[in-house]
Amino acid sequence: MTTISLRIEFGGGLELLFSNEKRHTLTLPSIVSSDNNSKTSADALSGVNTKPADVEYLVFYLRDHLLQERPELFMEGKTVRPGILVLINDTDWELEGEGEYVLQNNDEIVFISTLHGG
Amino acid sequence: MVSESCGNPSVETEAIMTRRPKYDKSKFCIKCKLNSGAIIVRHAVYCKECFPALLSYKVKRILEPQINPKPELSRKKSLKASGNLLVGFSGGLGSTVLLDLISRIYLSHRTEIKEEGVTKSRGGKDHPRNEPVWKMVSVCYVEVASGFPGMTDKTQKIHQLLQENYESLEFIPIRLENAFDLSWWDKVGGKAALDVNTDLTSDELFVSTALNSPDSDSVQKLRSYISALPTRTAIESAIHTLIRILLLYTARSTQSSHLLLGTSLTSISIKLISSISQGGGFSVREEAQEEWNPDSKGAVRLIRPLQEITLKECSMWAWWNDLLVVGKEKYPRGKDGIEALTKEFIIGLERDYPSTVSTIARTCAKLAPKVDAAGLCILCERPLQPAVQEWKSQISIRATKEPSPPSHSSDPSSVLHSLTSYLCYSCHTTLSSRSSKGVSRNSSNTSLPLPVWASTHLQGLLVDVAITDMQPDLKEADEEIWLSHKVNPDEMKEAIGEFLLE
Repeated sequence: MTTISLRIEFGGGLELLFSNEKRHTLTLPSIVSSDNNSKTSADALSGVNTKPADVEYLVFYLRDHLLQERPELFMEGKTVRPGILVLINDTDWELEGEGEYVLQNNDEIVFISTLHGG
Repeated sequence: MVSESCGNPSVETEAIMTRRPKYDKSKFCIKCKLNSGAIIVRHAVYCKECFPALLSYKVKRILEPQINPKPELSRKKSLKASGNLLVGFSGGLGSTVLLDLISRIYLSHRTEIKEEGVTKSRGGKDHPRNEPVWKMVSVCYVEVASGFPGMTDKTQKIHQLLQENYESLEFIPIRLENAFDLSWWDKVGGKAALDVNTDLTSDELFVSTALNSPDSDSVQKLRSYISALPTRTAIESAIHTLIRILLLYTARSTQSSHLLLGTSLTSISIKLISSISQGGGFSVREEAQEEWNPDSKGAVRLIRPLQEITLKECSMWAWWNDLLVVGKEKYPRGKDGIEALTKEFIIGLERDYPSTVSTIARTCAKLAPKVDAAGLCILCERPLQPAVQEWKSQISIRATKEPSPPSHSSDPSSVLHSLTSYLCYSCHTTLSSRSSKGVSRNSSNTSLPLPVWASTHLQGLLVDVAITDMQPDLKEADEEIWLSHKVNPDEMKEAIGEFLLE
């Protein structure tokens, strides 16, 4: 099973929800369950619909594995809460297809909250 | 031929509408057309290299026509303000970005000269002939922590941040309780005022002077002010007003002709909707920009240069330039107020419909009141619309019993008047609103101390009223007094009797 290594960064106060750590390194499988369930084991994947790991999956993964508290401040529905900007390799994710962008090895994904007052 | 498809997406997957792209045309920068885009701003794509010029252009478009004493639209005349510059800094994202942009656009030569340490002969743009737009630039921060026990005081942190990044700018820290501090009022040139309290139990808002007030400490008065306010919404509104007025008087005391605030397009749209919902429609124009000169002692132009820049753009700017944002403290239970609810709505709207948010600001900019102002509100110093109480009595159910002045008027030194006719609709609503949930006050405090400027304005207005009630033979030496008195029907008939037909 191939994996993807990712660099994740949090800004604008969002790091407070993730153990106050701004930078994280993750390794994700390149093929994941279509329902964004990150707890499905590699063997069980053959029995479910799969997709290449995308940003939508990453958001679920972060909520389920890295987020320490207040998930409603990070996610709303199947995507990030309004007011959170996402950069994929220093580019607005709206230019890259948002949640549908397929993750590549060594990608840098940044999540910035615009709601820390001002 | 009749279509046989039912268009139901759960049956036919092709029936699902294709997702509308978030950008027009291509992914390349709309400005240089060479680089790959890095950010989408309301459907337009910009690269990282062209983004600074975009923000700089937007700031100059708002600010530069307002710099010279006579609003200048032509670019030929050089920019020269009549006074100094004060930048309001809250520690939030908008303020941080504002200070950075203003510093880059207008103040860069100061830091260069300071760094060099020697006076070099300067040519070109740095030639002394091209004088700086403002002689002196200061940054003012209003600390609100005293009003809320347990809130962190950020003055020190902000001072440090400004010292590290903007060494050449003077830092002026003030505190929210200055609004109740006579010594601060005196320092900024205010006329001495008595302590005045207003009773919030009736819509008439009767005032009384408290000559021997036990709460002579300004922090106590501030807390008393906050605890007397009827709703969370009222607290937020009232504090915004206090901060704005404190900054304006500080601007005047530093001989500043301009006060800049870092309100972004997103924030302005939020404030407009929130303010209009609380009755602030008459001062919709002042939310964007105002020329403040309440007692004709020198005007200050309050300008919001970021008003065409969205929160998203501010955030990207801060990120790409590594700007440290200290952040603003949230008010306790602030999320119950109208502004917080409006903010949540607008932020959500901006993500899916970014143009709608700018439409709010642009539409409000086209609005103007139908009638002229009848003076200024004594609390917020914004235009006072005439006949507020008449309007209110037509649209709302009022108390069935006639309100009577509070009974503690036995003290002969206290004078009772109603504050209502001196307040704009919005401020009157702030003070007299009723929460549907009922307010749990920490104290059963219904007595609201007035900020120093409001007391001074009120005293000035009541003196005018007293003069018109005076007997005609009482005159000031060397001064002419014009007396007016209300003419009763018999006098009126006598005066115009010969012109009546019957």
